[in-house]
Amino acid sequence: MKSVRREVRRLVFRERAGAPRRARGAAAAVALAAVLVSAGCGAPGAGKSATAGTQSFVTEPVTTAQVAALGDVTLRMWADQAEKPLMRSVVPAFEKKYPNVTVDITYKSFDDLIATVVNAASGSTPPDLFQGNIGYAVDGALVKAKLVRPLDDVAATYGWLTGTGASTLAPARWNSAGTAFGDGNLYGMSPISEVQGIYYNKALLKSLDLEPPQSLSDLEKALPVVEKAGEQPVMLGNSDQYAATHIFSDLAVTEQSPASISDWIGGKAGTTFATDGNEKAAATMADWAKKGYFGSGYDGLSNEDAIARFAKGSGAFFVGGSWNGAKLDPEKFGFGALTTGGAGATASPWHIAASSKATPAAVAFLAALHTPATGQKILDTGRLPVVTDGVKGANSLQSQTLDVLKRTIAAGTQVGYYDWSATDMLGVMGGGLQEVMAGRTSGAAFTKAVQDSWLKARESK
Amino acid sequence: MSTVAPARERGTAPAATGTGRTRGPRRHRGSLSSYSWSSLLYVAPALAFFAVFVLYPIGISVWYSFYAYDGLTEGTPVGFGNYTAVFTDPDLRAALLHSLVLLFFYAALPVAVGLLLAGAMSRIRVYGLTLFRAVLFVPQILSSVVVAVAWRNLLAEDGPVNAMLRTVGLGRFTTSWLGNFDTALPSIGVVGTWVEYGLCMVLFLSGIVAIDRSTYEAARLDGAGAVREFFSITLPALRPQISIALILTVTFALRNFDLIWNTTRGGPGTSTTVPSLYVYQDAFQNRMLGRASALAIVLTVVILVVVVAVQLLLRERDGTGRGPMRRRPVRGGSVRRGPARPARKVQP
Repeated sequence: MKSVRREVRRLVFRERAGAPRRARGAAAAVALAAVLVSAGCGAPGAGKSATAGTQSFVTEPVTTAQVAALGDVTLRMWADQAEKPLMRSVVPAFEKKYPNVTVDITYKSFDDLIATVVNAASGSTPPDLFQGNIGYAVDGALVKAKLVRPLDDVAATYGWLTGTGASTLAPARWNSAGTAFGDGNLYGMSPISEVQGIYYNKALLKSLDLEPPQSLSDLEKALPVVEKAGEQPVMLGNSDQYAATHIFSDLAVTEQSPASISDWIGGKAGTTFATDGNEKAAATMADWAKKGYFGSGYDGLSNEDAIARFAKGSGAFFVGGSWNGAKLDPEKFGFGALTTGGAGATASPWHIAASSKATPAAVAFLAALHTPATGQKILDTGRLPVVTDGVKGANSLQSQTLDVLKRTIAAGTQVGYYDWSATDMLGVMGGGLQEVMAGRTSGAAFTKAVQDSWLKARESK
Repeated sequence: MSTVAPARERGTAPAATGTGRTRGPRRHRGSLSSYSWSSLLYVAPALAFFAVFVLYPIGISVWYSFYAYDGLTEGTPVGFGNYTAVFTDPDLRAALLHSLVLLFFYAALPVAVGLLLAGAMSRIRVYGLTLFRAVLFVPQILSSVVVAVAWRNLLAEDGPVNAMLRTVGLGRFTTSWLGNFDTALPSIGVVGTWVEYGLCMVLFLSGIVAIDRSTYEAARLDGAGAVREFFSITLPALRPQISIALILTVTFALRNFDLIWNTTRGGPGTSTTVPSLYVYQDAFQNRMLGRASALAIVLTVVILVVVVAVQLLLRERDGTGRGPMRRRPVRGGSVRRGPARPARKVQP
């Protein structure tokens, strides 16, 4: 018994002895915090302004002589690691053409990139050329803090404002305050496009005597047939909350004018999400979920797992973005559009740092990304180019996807993604749509909640 | 520790009163204080490190919390606006409620399971106890991302958990555990229990080892059964360890982020949101550093309050003078340092 007490006391004592020290530590922390707060006085971020250098206006395509005049220079870049395959073929050609330039790229995962790139751009030695992300959290912050160079002169000089893919520049256009996008000065460009549509399992459709769907009504006719045959109609993995919002946007774009959607996404005052079209799309999602077209347990399955299952043959359709195509066997799967085109958008735009000392080299690099030759390389590396002139798919799936992209751009339905509209919209919409699909909330309550959140985001700007 | 020390202690302990016992060591400590400046040199590097990497960031967070700040352009002072926003946001209130549910799964349940296992192991001589202990401790060591990915697969619609249910004829209970509005939060809770109970068990086992076997023998001679033994001897003796276990698990429960982020991201709907999820989103996705800081500070204060409450709760009972804990207020003793607390991952 004695030793029990001793053991207990030992532990007790340790705790007791620790207490005053902790208290002292806490007091010190509070004191230090107080000192910091009083010493801080000013607002955070004060005096931290962009060192915008003298910006030379680009009126002629950058020549090798102009780049050579920079002397031996390193073009420092930050990129999404998804760009690696493309960069591997673009960079050597670029360095050959401009021998005085060394390209130094830091690759980051997409999540890591968007979490750190703004801080990197506001640091004392920002990268010259880097990828941001469409929307308020990254591109909006960069524009607002004047960290990136406007590219209107570059785009005009190189002819990006006309021709294929011109409309895809819109999401990189911002008003000067950085509070609304889709219109205004151009701050970035992306050579890569994305399109949403519908993947189908050729063999499964054939066994059920179904034609590949060419429209939403085709799909709606096919779904019950697949369901009756005991197969899962639509493969969906929605645990990341975004996959369902993409299907929703595919449906919503068939119900209303694409321009009204992109206005809302861009934050145009007076627009609303509480439209009949969006409510109808939400109702369709709930209806499909109720009828079991998405199978069960889709909220517990990740998109990654869902596309893997679809690739293995379960599910007749997969509604989603073109980036999923890389995981599918082109012999076994086809791709089509739900609408005239499909909904879609561009990938993360490239920006030139406002303080870059190698601007001509950076402009030349952007120009190199915006050529039909690079477009072909982009398609070859499994993605879709913005510049599609003369670009050819290597297999039927690639060709079909490219075809849908062209039709989408022509139809003006590349409206972008809903979650660009506010930094927390993915959570608000993704979570809300999960509730709609589970029958826990109505389509009207959902569109109202989304609109309220959209308004709140506008107010805080 | 020299062999003399315990002998001295054993000799003086029963006779000592609270104040009498403390006088000795205190005087000793007093004499140490004349060396305090030179001893400060020893801790200076650690102190500097602590100040720069712990105190300074905390101070910065407090500073930011009074501004609307995007991390780039000059912030605008908003007074306590960010704090008001924290307390009036219905989403955050719901998130706090989820945290309370998780407290049960992350703190209460692991302590209970740990006690049960430790009690059983102390009573039954298990062959290969070390191995058992090691295996049961594994969840603690695993990275939370690994844990999340593993459990996401285990709990999937066609995962092993559902397969098991079907095998034993409980097929009607199968569901997508993390994707169902009703089961997502408890499922994450169970994962947390699985992570934490090993730590509790090991803590309790180390406490049980220190209990004199003769106490049990005496109890058995008095006719105590296993249950009586557990409640009369093991449980009271383990109170310090329970306190430590609760502090660790409660902290884990309230600041929990990684498990949720890697399993459900707060979904489906908002059924598994927690405050730290909003801290992350506000700070790194929404660029609302002021609000994120305010929320983080509120969360820190809540954790501190709960931890202090746990400590007080377990201390107050000493005053009742029940069982072997009666001598708890006794200060002093030659043993200054107990075994180090297990190192825990620190989360941002």
